[in-house]
Amino acid sequence: MTQTTDPIRELDVRPILASGQDPFGAIMDVVGSLPPGTSLRLIAPFQPTPLFSVMARQGYAAAPRQRGDGAWEVLFSPDTGSTTEQDLSPGSNREAMFWPDPAQSLDLTGLMPPEPMVRILATLEDMAPGEVLFALLEREPVFLFPELSAREHDWAGNLAADGAGYRLLIRRGGEK
Amino acid sequence: MPGRHLARWTLSWFASALLFLIAALALAVLLAPAPGEWTGGRGLALVHLLAIGWLSQMMFGALTQFLPVLLAHPLLWPHLSPVALALTGAGTLLLALGFTGLEGWSPGFLLLPLAPVLLGAGFGLIAVMAAGSLVPARGWREGTGRPVILAFVALGFAFASGEGMAMTVAGLDGAFAIGLDALPFHIGLAVAGWLGLGTAGVSYRLFAMFLIAPDGGSRLRTVTAGAALVLLFLLAAGLLREIATGAAPSLLLAAAFCISLTAGLYLTDIIRLWRARRRSVPEVNMQMSRPALAFLAAAALMAPAAVLKGGHLAEATVFAALIGWLSGLTLTQMIKIISFLTWIQVFAARIGRGALPQVHELVDETASRRWLSLWFGAAALGTLALLAGQSVALRLSFALLLVAALGIVRQIWRIRRLALVPPAMRPDCLPPLFLPPARTEPLQ
Repeated sequence: MTQTTDPIRELDVRPILASGQDPFGAIMDVVGSLPPGTSLRLIAPFQPTPLFSVMARQGYAAAPRQRGDGAWEVLFSPDTGSTTEQDLSPGSNREAMFWPDPAQSLDLTGLMPPEPMVRILATLEDMAPGEVLFALLEREPVFLFPELSAREHDWAGNLAADGAGYRLLIRRGGEK
Repeated sequence: MPGRHLARWTLSWFASALLFLIAALALAVLLAPAPGEWTGGRGLALVHLLAIGWLSQMMFGALTQFLPVLLAHPLLWPHLSPVALALTGAGTLLLALGFTGLEGWSPGFLLLPLAPVLLGAGFGLIAVMAAGSLVPARGWREGTGRPVILAFVALGFAFASGEGMAMTVAGLDGAFAIGLDALPFHIGLAVAGWLGLGTAGVSYRLFAMFLIAPDGGSRLRTVTAGAALVLLFLLAAGLLREIATGAAPSLLLAAAFCISLTAGLYLTDIIRLWRARRRSVPEVNMQMSRPALAFLAAAALMAPAAVLKGGHLAEATVFAALIGWLSGLTLTQMIKIISFLTWIQVFAARIGRGALPQVHELVDETASRRWLSLWFGAAALGTLALLAGQSVALRLSFALLLVAALGIVRQIWRIRRLALVPPAMRPDCLPPLFLPPARTEPLQ
């Protein structure tokens, strides 16, 4: 395992895997110690796809590429760093970056509309005012936004940089 | 506040389109010309009631609802939607009445030059509204936006050529009059260009959503868009050459082959989407889309021969495309789209606050499948009747299509009235059947 002191931290999990251990804990340790705005470059012998949604929930976007030697190099960058305000969907709350960490996360990819909307609204009903919900969706939930506003929830969302998913933060409003 | 999720006039567009469909089919049962005579007044009137009144109005209604959804940018001036609806509806009626001039009703020739004025204003208004979504979303760089933009360009050429020929039919020889030999290009631009590319463009996203399939743009989709661009170029260049020199047979044949190629690429993409689906048993709207896509395959294969031979073969090809593919697919997806929009309209505000029906519980799938099957059977009968030159079988086909359409309209009515939803889950007050709900908030 090597770590550098660059603005981009690097973590090579090949030695961990080669020794027969699960690198997940080591990855999460490094992620937990990343200073704000720092990216993580992860090197693995295969494309660590399951990690992408875990990292998305932590607020990192994944940019994978295969190297000449066959290993995979994934750059996880903080969303706020890669996201300009213009990328947020119209109607997004601009102060979302100062909200508390999400109390709940939902992976709603692979669900047919209106199921993502149903799950989000049902989950919000059971949350306390001020708590934040993070949801990963397949597409922008345009039918959800007016309903969130009507229920006085704040939200901010944007498309993933590669257009392959939509990330949504919702802060539970006061209305019950 | 029911209604805030929907484009206000979408259901009105749909209702108007369905009215045109029923009216056109009922008239066709009574008045359909024999195979080989569809370029006469009655034939042209019926075809335009179907192509503009039914299919184009349906497309406009769907675009005003889904373009902002798919591109995540609102329309420009959405409150002008009813104006465009009235203009296209009235323009279509005038056009159909105008064509009866060819049947000996001389006032028709006076109406014929008026129809394009209304239609042009209506089409232009919708294009401006759509541009409100397409331009800020940079639609030309986007898998859904590209074919829709090409479709609007095709609509412009189809309108201009149709307007020019209408002038000629009305006996007005002016700068805008175009010889009737341009008809094949007009048909290609309207059916393959406008309706075909528009339908294909919207279908990618909707199919991916309904099948729960990965919706990433693929290289195949870029190639298909390229083929569509070439097709549009061939049709437009052919039309201009036809007007300039009076003949463009090689461009027409090249366009016909390009139709086969573009349709083949599109169908390959859809088959790929179908195989990658995560929903193992698709709902009735996707199951019944398969015969519609089979009609597209048939029409696309027949297109080059239709250009070479004309006559019955050309009529059968246009019929397979308009009735089998475009109308069949529209009716099939209509069941799903109206049930989804109705569910959102009625139940969105109650999510998380009590028991709700699921979207598919609004639909009588067995009855829907039965009427759609009748539609596709009748479409096959009509295609064969035109190929074989059988007038009686063609009339019978229109009668069966009418019965099927009425059956589907009844299903749509039952969806809108929540006929299948248990009384305990129904709201006290249902939204209007097809008119916009009373305004309770500022324009969105």
